[in-house]
This record gives sequence, C-alpha cells and structure tokens, in this order.
Amino acid sequence: MIASALGSYPRIGEGAEAQQLRRSIQKFQAGGMTREALTGVENEVTAEAIAEQEAAGLDWLTDGLVRWEDGQTYFTDRLDGFQRGQLIRYFDTNTYYRQPVAVGSVRWKAPISVEDWKFAQGLTKKTVRPVITGPYTLSRLSENAHYGDFESFAADVAAALHEEVRALEAAGAKRIQIDEPALVQDPSDEPLAKRLLARTLAGTRAEIWVALTMGSPAKLIDRALEWAVAGLWLDCVSDGAVVERLASRPAAGAVKLGLGIVNARNTRLESADALRETLTRVADRQGLERVVATTSAGLEFLPRDRAQQKLARLSEAAHTLGAGARS
Amino acid sequence: MSTEALLTSSIGSFPKPEYLTKARTAFQQGKIGEPELKAVEERATRETIAMQEELGMDILVDGEMYRGDMATYFAENTDGFAISGLVRSYGNRYYRKPILTGPVRFRGPITVDWWKWAQSLTSKPMKAIITGPYTMMDWSFDEHYASRREACLDLARALHEEVRALAAAGAKYIQIDEPALSVRVDELDTAIDAMAIVTEGIRATTLTHICYGTFEQIYPRMLDLAVDEFDLAMANTGFALVDHFARHPFTKVLGLGVFDVHSHKLETVDQMRAGIEKTLQYIPPERIRVVPDCGLKTRTWDEAKAKCANMVQAAKQAREKLAGAGVR
Repeated sequence: MIASALGSYPRIGEGAEAQQLRRSIQKFQAGGMTREALTGVENEVTAEAIAEQEAAGLDWLTDGLVRWEDGQTYFTDRLDGFQRGQLIRYFDTNTYYRQPVAVGSVRWKAPISVEDWKFAQGLTKKTVRPVITGPYTLSRLSENAHYGDFESFAADVAAALHEEVRALEAAGAKRIQIDEPALVQDPSDEPLAKRLLARTLAGTRAEIWVALTMGSPAKLIDRALEWAVAGLWLDCVSDGAVVERLASRPAAGAVKLGLGIVNARNTRLESADALRETLTRVADRQGLERVVATTSAGLEFLPRDRAQQKLARLSEAAHTLGAGARS
Repeated sequence: MSTEALLTSSIGSFPKPEYLTKARTAFQQGKIGEPELKAVEERATRETIAMQEELGMDILVDGEMYRGDMATYFAENTDGFAISGLVRSYGNRYYRKPILTGPVRFRGPITVDWWKWAQSLTSKPMKAIITGPYTMMDWSFDEHYASRREACLDLARALHEEVRALAAAGAKYIQIDEPALSVRVDELDTAIDAMAIVTEGIRATTLTHICYGTFEQIYPRMLDLAVDEFDLAMANTGFALVDHFARHPFTKVLGLGVFDVHSHKLETVDQMRAGIEKTLQYIPPERIRVVPDCGLKTRTWDEAKAKCANMVQAAKQAREKLAGAGVR
C-alpha cells in the first residue's frame, strides 16, 4: 500500500541549524537579506523536507509547502484583484493568516507554483505532487469586496486556478492535489463546490486528488465519491464515522481513498499496529489497490521531530499491507 | 454620568522592550541566571505601568513581561504538562506548545506574587490575568485525556485554585482569557461548564477576553459564561458585532475593543470614538469599558503607546459628549 504526505511539512526544527528559514525571513523582512538569498534558503529547506519524507519511507511526496506563508496568500498575492486584509484564525486552529480581500476582478497573471514544484520534483525520483488551494476554499476564506455575489466571485477564482492547473500540467505535473477544507465546514455547499471544481479542472488530464480535511468529511464522502477526480484525501481522525462508513460497505465508483489516519494535529504517537488495523478494515471492504495511507492534515501543526516519527509509523503500517504501484 | 462610565483598560500583554528580549535570549542560552532575568522583567513591568499611568488609563495591567506564550506559561507551572518542540503560530512566528501528559493538578500560585508586586506600584486597580481552561485545553496537544471535555474540566478545577488565590490576595478584577472560545460552537457548553467551575464563589469582578473568531455563532449563548464582563475584539471587524446587540441585548459589561492590534496603522481618535458611539446606542456607558482588540505584544512600544493614547482621548471625548448631552 502507498504511504503519502498530505501537504505541509514543519519548516523549522530544534537547534540553530534547523531554524535557518525563520532567521532568514526575519532578516529579509528587516531588509538585511535579498529575495534571491531567501529563495536559496527556501530551496535548502525544501530539500530537507523532501529528504525527511523519503527517509520516513513515504512513496508520494509534496514539497512541504515551505514557501507558503499560508494556503491563501501564496495564491492570492500572485493573482490580480486581491489585497491582504485583517489577520484571522484558520478554522479551529491557533494559527492565523492575512485574509485576502477581492477588490477587483480576479485574474490569473502568470504561473504561481510551477517553478517551486519543478525545483522540488528535480530533487527526487519519487512523484512530488503540487498542491493548490481549491476554488471553493480560496473564495470562502477570502473577503469579497468587489463582486455582487459569492458565486460570481468564486467562479472567477475557479477560472484563475484553472490556468494554474494547466500551467502545472504543461510543466509535467502528473498528479495534482486540490485542497478544499472549507467544504468540510459547510457540506451543504457541495453542489457549488462541485461546479467550481469542474471549472478549475476542465480539460485536465492530470490525476486529481481533492483533500477534505480540517474536520470530518463524513457528511460529504458519498457525494464526493461521484466527483470526476482520481482520489480523495479524507481526514479520518476528526470523526470515527469516516472509517466506519468505508469499512462497512463498498464505495461507489473508482475514486481512490486517501485515508488520513495519522493525527496531524496531536503529538500522541499512533502505533503501527493500530494504523495497520484501520487500513486493513477499509482495504478489506474497498480493495487494497484503492486505499492510500496518509495523515489527517498537513504536518505544520506538529513539531518536526514528532512529524518525522509519525510519518515513519505511517509508512511502516502501509508497507506491510502489500505493494502498490509506488510512483 | 457615572464615574464608572467608559473606563479605559487593556487586554494584557504589552510589547517586550528590546533589552528584555535580549535578556530572555541570554537566559535561554545560560548566559544569565533567573535573578538577573527577573530584574530585567521588573524594570520592563515598571515602565509598562508608568506608561499606562502617564496616558491616564483607569484599570491597569502588568504587561505580562515575564510570560512567553499565554498557554505555555501556565502549562509550565501546572502539573500534568510537558512542553513541545517549536510549532508555527502564524507568518514567521513560532512557539512551544503545551502537551497534556498526565492529570492536570494545581501546583501552587502561578501569578499571585507578580500581581501583588505590580499592584504595589500603583494606586489604580491592577487586573489579574490568567488563561482560561478551554483555551488551555484547545491550545495544548493531548496525550493523556480520553476527551476534550474531561481535559477542560480538570483544567478548570486547577485554574479555580489560581483565581481563588488571586482574589484572596486582593485582586478586584480577574480576567480569564478565552481567545479559543469563538471557534467551535459545538463545545460552547463545555466552555460554559468550565468557566462556572473557575469563577465559583469568587467575589472579584470577573472578565473574559475572546477574539478572532465567529462571534455570530456563539452569541448570545456565550453570555451564559459565568463572568461579569466580556472584552471583545470589535475594531478589526469594523464594529460589525455591535449589530448583533440590536437583535439580542448584551446583558453584561462590555470591554469594547476600539483598535486593531495587528496593524501598524494608527487609528484616529475620531475612528475610535465613532466605534464607542455606535456601541452606546445599545449599551449604557457605565457598562462599557474601552480597550484594545487584543494584547499588544506584537506591536512596537511606540505603536502601542500611540494607539493607547488615542484610545484614552477617544473615551474622554465620548464621556464629555455624554456629559454635555446631560446623560446621568
């Protein structure tokens, strides 16, 4: 079975050496470092994130999102039509972000994540998956100060992200992750989110995985299984109902199931045996080839050493459940 | 007009001066000892109190010069916790997060000596401030408890001892911060039960501070929290919360946040006064205190001082206007 990362990786660790990114950003913000020099440090930390995911035994990687200040402004700062607004809380966490404010028509200008992804993919033979914050979430977590209604705003965001997906494909990305955590908070918006995703993904050939995290996707699973995507990343920790659903009856269609069974928001270390048991219960019902093991969310909420330990347990559990196509 | 109308105060933290930041680093590196660090913390506390007195603020705070993160500080001094490696708070800020590793138990007074000493420096009332049980639970990793509620209620029992000790020492205002409260409406009952434990039988004026969340989801149910006053971040949403008071009366004392603590931009006296006047449509002046949206530790000293100075002016002008209008 494949073991995969799910987005962010802790960008600093203990000791001075592991904190160079923090110090460099401070220096850059104070005017004591050039953008090029900071990019060099970000490259080094990206390489560390890749190396540590590989050392933990993961099959599918991400670049750790080490260049993202947060999931929103990484994109909106580079799109037309947005400004930064007030500092607000990210879902039910104790982390915060500057809320993007749409003050004009939202338009894609140029590739946002392509160079970052190419750099990361160049560091490893394993597949590095670029991550995009999805159109529903990016719109929901922003303030609309320009459009007459939410849907027309979100439609322009979806169209802008479509260009980004196309640019990633053109650069060679074969598998792309779309994060839609905001939909988990409001499952009644699924029809709208589905339309927005269809707009963003129109004509794509890449393998698309949508992440439903930062809360329980139990109320969404059955509808999401009908989306035209390759796979779903599911937070299985916030609510036991997700695993119970998948272990009790076969899921319709052929959408693959990325089970987020390692808690990315708590330091308590899961045993490989317990993880293996959960994976087995779902795989027995859904088929081994259909299941991928992952974490419940990105790992930026954990200290780095604990994130490494958790990934190692995840790999250990997944890899004793039979071989998948690890590419 | 009551002399208690539109009193000014602040939420808790003030910016740590550079000499204190350097001393904390030197302490962490083992270059100075605890007595040396404490002397520097006392110097910064004196300056913070003097600044508030100079500005004419009414209810003072000690500035929390001796605290790092607001949850971690209490966890370090309570049984049942370990402290994690660094995790990100926002942007380029990181902190060490508490880990619940065993049953939470009160080890002994945490803030009482600091409060007594700070109160001795001024004739104005000095607020005592602790972090509340729900926030302590929510902002900790949990490797021990079976449920979030169980952890929260144990924390409430431990923090009740701290509040009792503060009240016994003479604190007239005791603030129990709950910034995490505005996020998960499904856990509001747990937070209400926990606060009832914390403040049970306490004679001092009790307050809570809530910020950066979705108030519309917890209001007016949050008024059931067993405190006398709520200090709320209002300015950062353009005082939009005031509109909720039109639908559901705000029944307690309101600490009205009149400026954004995460912006370098200095709000004008007029802007702050407009927020006060908007709120006065729904709440009488003796039930409004004028405060910042949140703690000031992320601002520079000069920014914090300038914002607080405008706040004091805004409250003064609003009081004068009320007096001129003959409000009694």
